[in-house]
Amino acid sequence: MVAPIYIITIPLGIAFLIGVLGKSNKNIGGMFMLIALACMSFVSAQWFISFMTSTQSPVYIYTAGFKPPFSINLLMGLNEAFFTLIINIATLLGAIYLYNNLKKQGTNAMSVFLGFAMALNVMVMTRDIFNLYVFLEIASVATAGLIILEQGLKSTSAGFKYMIATGIISSILLIGIIFAYNYSGTLNIDGLIEANIGILKGGAIAIFLILIAIVLELKPFPANGWALDVYQGADSGIGAMISAASASASLYVLYKLFAIAGESWYPVIAVLGIITFIASNLFGLKQTNSKRLLGYSSIGQIGLLITVLGLSPYLGDKFEFIAVTLLISHYLAKAILFWISGIVKAENIKNWSNLRKKPLLVALFGTAVFLLLGFPPFPSFFGKWELVMQLANSGQFAWMTAILVGSFFEGIYLFRWFGYTLKLDNKELPEYKMKLNKIIPPAIFGVAAYILGYYSGTFVDAAKGLDYIPLLFIAFIALINFLPAWVKNSISLTGVILYIAVIFPEFDGDLLRQIFAAIFLGGAVLALFAGFYSKGKRSGFHVVTLAMFAGLAMLLKADNLLEIFYAWELMTIGSYFLLIRGKKSMPHGYSYMMFSLGGSYALIFGFALAFVSFGNLDLQSLSGITIYPTLAYSLMLLGFMTKTASFGLHIWLPGAHGEAVVDIHFMASAILLKAGVFGIILVLLGMGTEASYAKYILYTLGWIGAISALIGNIAASFQESAKRLLAWSSIGQLGYIVFGLALMSHLGWMAGIFYTATHFLYKGVLFLTIGGIALKLGTPYMYRMGGLIKKMPFSFIAVLIAIITLSGIPPLVGFAGKWLFYNAIISQGLYFQGIVVLFSGIVAFLYLFRLIYSVFLGQLKDEHRNVKELPLCLLIPIYILIIAIMIISARPDFILKPIGNYLLAYFPSGALNWNGTMASTGLGYWDGYWVMIIVGVMFTLLFGWLLILNSKSKKVKQFNMVYAGEKPFRPETTHMSYNMFSGYNKALGFFMMPGVTGFWNWMSDILHDTANYFRRIYSGNGQSYAIHIIAYIIIIYLIVF
Amino acid sequence: MEYISLITGFIMLMIGLWGILSQKNIIKIIIGFTIFDTAINIIIISIGYISGRTAPILDKAVPVKDAVTKIVDPIPQALVLTSIVISLGVTALMLAYALKLHKYKNTLEINKFKDLKW
Amino acid sequence: MDNIAIKLLFTLLGLFIVLNWGLIQAGIMNKIVARVGKRIGMPVYQPYFNLIKLYSKRTSITHGVMFYLGPLFRLSGGVGMFLFMPLIFGSEYWSNFSFAGDVVLILYFQFFGMLGMALGAGEGGHPYSAIGVSRGLSQWTTIELPLTLAIISIAIQYHSLSFTDIVAAQQGGITHWTMWTNPLATAAGMLAFLGTMGHSPFDLVKAPNEIPIGPPTEYHSTFLGVLRTNAAILHVVESVLFMNLFFGGATSWFELILKTFLIYFWSVFVGVVFPRFRIEQSVSWFLKVPLILGILAIIFI
Repeated sequence: MVAPIYIITIPLGIAFLIGVLGKSNKNIGGMFMLIALACMSFVSAQWFISFMTSTQSPVYIYTAGFKPPFSINLLMGLNEAFFTLIINIATLLGAIYLYNNLKKQGTNAMSVFLGFAMALNVMVMTRDIFNLYVFLEIASVATAGLIILEQGLKSTSAGFKYMIATGIISSILLIGIIFAYNYSGTLNIDGLIEANIGILKGGAIAIFLILIAIVLELKPFPANGWALDVYQGADSGIGAMISAASASASLYVLYKLFAIAGESWYPVIAVLGIITFIASNLFGLKQTNSKRLLGYSSIGQIGLLITVLGLSPYLGDKFEFIAVTLLISHYLAKAILFWISGIVKAENIKNWSNLRKKPLLVALFGTAVFLLLGFPPFPSFFGKWELVMQLANSGQFAWMTAILVGSFFEGIYLFRWFGYTLKLDNKELPEYKMKLNKIIPPAIFGVAAYILGYYSGTFVDAAKGLDYIPLLFIAFIALINFLPAWVKNSISLTGVILYIAVIFPEFDGDLLRQIFAAIFLGGAVLALFAGFYSKGKRSGFHVVTLAMFAGLAMLLKADNLLEIFYAWELMTIGSYFLLIRGKKSMPHGYSYMMFSLGGSYALIFGFALAFVSFGNLDLQSLSGITIYPTLAYSLMLLGFMTKTASFGLHIWLPGAHGEAVVDIHFMASAILLKAGVFGIILVLLGMGTEASYAKYILYTLGWIGAISALIGNIAASFQESAKRLLAWSSIGQLGYIVFGLALMSHLGWMAGIFYTATHFLYKGVLFLTIGGIALKLGTPYMYRMGGLIKKMPFSFIAVLIAIITLSGIPPLVGFAGKWLFYNAIISQGLYFQGIVVLFSGIVAFLYLFRLIYSVFLGQLKDEHRNVKELPLCLLIPIYILIIAIMIISARPDFILKPIGNYLLAYFPSGALNWNGTMASTGLGYWDGYWVMIIVGVMFTLLFGWLLILNSKSKKVKQFNMVYAGEKPFRPETTHMSYNMFSGYNKALGFFMMPGVTGFWNWMSDILHDTANYFRRIYSGNGQSYAIHIIAYIIIIYLIVF
Repeated sequence: MEYISLITGFIMLMIGLWGILSQKNIIKIIIGFTIFDTAINIIIISIGYISGRTAPILDKAVPVKDAVTKIVDPIPQALVLTSIVISLGVTALMLAYALKLHKYKNTLEINKFKDLKW
Repeated sequence: MDNIAIKLLFTLLGLFIVLNWGLIQAGIMNKIVARVGKRIGMPVYQPYFNLIKLYSKRTSITHGVMFYLGPLFRLSGGVGMFLFMPLIFGSEYWSNFSFAGDVVLILYFQFFGMLGMALGAGEGGHPYSAIGVSRGLSQWTTIELPLTLAIISIAIQYHSLSFTDIVAAQQGGITHWTMWTNPLATAAGMLAFLGTMGHSPFDLVKAPNEIPIGPPTEYHSTFLGVLRTNAAILHVVESVLFMNLFFGGATSWFELILKTFLIYFWSVFVGVVFPRFRIEQSVSWFLKVPLILGILAIIFI
């Protein structure tokens, strides 16, 4: 193996060599620089691999052959190998990225860059504290040199502020070092550890000065204005280096020096870190400059890592895993983000929509955002999970909360930014070029994020059961993104069907999962089939669709909480991208993500409490929560209810679904929402009804369901857009389901599960037909439609059957739900909740009539005279669903009996009695089969009679009708659709006041105003920043001593 | 008396810091830095000083065999050498920055360079 | 049940009786209303003449399939409610097909006819019919609220949702009727009944006098005949529903006729006395006194 000392000598030698080369040999110099960096990476990699794979022991390198304290020594152990490896790779790729900039500035710049890389390496490896100081200074000076690589007022003034700040910081460090020497008589870190000078007052101050200087190097809030200015002012390639390479090195230095400081310093450091994490993510909220925003995010992430370092006593043997996964995620994501910000050259985050011109950049940006926020399949997901679990295990709930709150703030601005990128108009924005050397580094890091994500999963026991085959399939689909939509559609469809064949037998004997699998995966097949309507490439659609369905399938397969969370987050990513595809869906996709993010943090908190109570992550742990059980169950329910869009958390749904196109609308409404239902079922099964808190939770949940039902249905009646009408209707229908589950009885659950299944069927029909029509006519507004029954008879029949089912009119199967509700409500005495639910069921007639009348009946518009029936690829899924509805309408016992048998295990009392096809409870009875027969026979007989009676009737033209003494000549004047239930609106419209939206907006305003007020401490004056630093030291000193 | 240089060092440290924090002219701030650095160097040396001993230079006056008892601690003195070199580099770079800043705005008032903020 | 043919015959006979009683009743009510207004009024048999006239009209036009099917749905709704409704307590044959479902079934089957009708009228293309439907639906949602509360109150009282059980529990004199044992539920239910019958003050849906509005606007000849037939059946069946729920059911046809007459008369009586509500007024009205009565009915059961 190559000796580690070469990591230092190679860059040193080459840097001098390049200096000698002079200005005329820039290309050769550049080549030398890259070769040097590659050699350094190679040496580190070699050591790292040998540490990982064999029992290589750490190696000390002594200068001049003396042993310390008479010489400086360096260490190459696993940690050093890892850190030098990531630093060298970052600097190598960074040099490739900056190649042209460096070349423009000449060979001196290249030498400086090499010096920068070398200094960071020595900082990591050295065991001598004065040597550390020296190389910290070299790194600072080199950084200051690199900041003005891109010459301009901004970079120069930022660089000067940087010099002032680092000047003070390193002086503090030096004073600390000399006092530490004074008390210990050595400069060697190991010697200092042995000397244990912390017990002396003076020694403690020395340690304080050293530590605080290193912390200040890591840019803690509020003494970090200089760093923000540097991030904003310097070239983004330099920003990437500071954020990825320098910060990693400084973090390791802090870690190294921790050994000197001793345990009493851990909490101090953790507090400093968390304040930085929360504050800088909060201030990021108001930031619009992309590089400065990245600076805020970068500082926040470093704050998180400092916190993790400070919390290490609580993290046990998972500390290293957590720290490494979080660090590597920050490192990859920040480097990617800075690098692409240099490519797109858009200062304002609203101009980042330019990124959309290159799909690869969008993919990288998305990767980085999800990587930063700890979504699967990235390393940070596992890191954050373990962090929360270990903190919970040590009872550190306040720390958990703080970390989750900070992450949420980060999510707010990252997703807003991402939304701008995906949706804002980019026509006016300037063209830009994507040079090869600028795209390779972020691309490599992007790929690495996925690979390392998989790799980190292998370290987590609970994640061993994860099924990566669907993800590989998705990756394959991503690779063939350039093919036309129908090819990808066919491949995806085949994949899903094969997967069903594999996965379905796994649920044998578990009816609940079978039903949900039928909804999720059967729905996937229908949705993909419907997807054949689209022409062109439909870039990215299949990847995200499959990601969502993979998440849903994993949710069902999950054996432990981690897998549930993994699946949940994966599904969230997929659905976010699906929902944001709509034309005007930027704000809605954003609010969807905000609620999802908040929901997942609530979930992980609840899961952590379950984990601590139970001791492991099995699904049974949900049933035995003993630590803050009320909080735990409430949080989990809240988390799952963000997906069922229950009252209070529903505001994202109407817009997001209303803007989605036909098949996405189907997936989002008929399928995705059921994931939340599945989650609620799991939680409620765990919670049971016995505990004292369960009563209150269930009572509240019941009201949430009932109010969702009412608000959803009333709001649906006042919508002008057919798609928004259906979206609100979904909120109402999910309200029924939540209400049914909250009843926690045999009948209630039967109704809940039954609604889950039938809602999929009839709402599926509605979404596909209405969505298809809206797509065909180019408008979702019902007052622009009308009279389409003559053009689309099959769609009309489908919608008719669907709305009869939805409204619960016998003989179709929707009635079963109403009947079950009546029986459950009366037998359980939940009258008033029940009345609200039943009332909202009747309100549903309003919007259903409006929907079918305004679209299909009334007057056909002139511009729709040539409209044709929906395409077969939509009609076939629609009629498959219709057939299913008709079958279970005729024989509701086919579905109710198995559900009843399944529920016997959980709710043995209050089951339905079956006498043939007649179901009865203690209260009432109902025979769906006979109702169907009676109504069928009667209808046929009467129909025959009417045929005879009306045989003479003649068909007339559209306008042949009595109309106040004259014949109308324009369809618009005779189609009554706009503001249809105005009278109802006058009487009950107050239900529609957007109070909930107002509440969330108010919350958001408060947050943003706070951020805006407090971020003004970053005045831009370099001297104020110096004062911040000094004040920071003094204040921390006063607090600590 | 042996603390005189240490006290002087700290006084100079405060002067330097005062200069850095209160002066508006960039050049004066840089001068503050040099005072600050010098002060630190004085402190380092005074910490290594042992009363009544001589400089750690091995010559006729200080033979090798009784060097341990006759000279002050040599390490701080070595450190100061490094430290001086570093502060030289830093000061040079700062002055270069000052020059550049002056080019952009024709002023050296640090208050005038607040383009980046919040 | 042992002999389905006999059961069918009895059911048809029952339907015949109900239809005729409905028509005669309509005639009587018309007469009463006219006399209150100091008019002579039309003869009692006028509804029969109207039916004959409508069924024998020569011209009949249709606007399309749903328009054609609308009255069929409406009639099926009426007949279906009749089929699922037990008429005479204690009689196997006059209980129709009530074995297929309980009160809840009837409650939701009401909508079958209304929906079909609304859709049929909708295809007529006349805006007034849609206006009528929108008003009708708005009003219906709030009518249902006190009615549901009353029914739940009764179901709690009798621990059953089955008509047979509810009527059986009320046997043995007027003091056993729901009217006596649960006056609040009865009050709520009977106020809701006013709405279901669509007489003044809740007749804005059809607005019979000033302007042609509501679903029947475009219907004529045989279509209107079918609707009138259905109206006759439905009025009796609705009365039977309330009779079974609140007034002890009926053990003989005589009792049924007497009770349904009185129940129906209640709505006519109120209609004669009170003027018409605007739609938002009637919606709010049902959410005030009847709703409160219904809630009290549940609280004090």
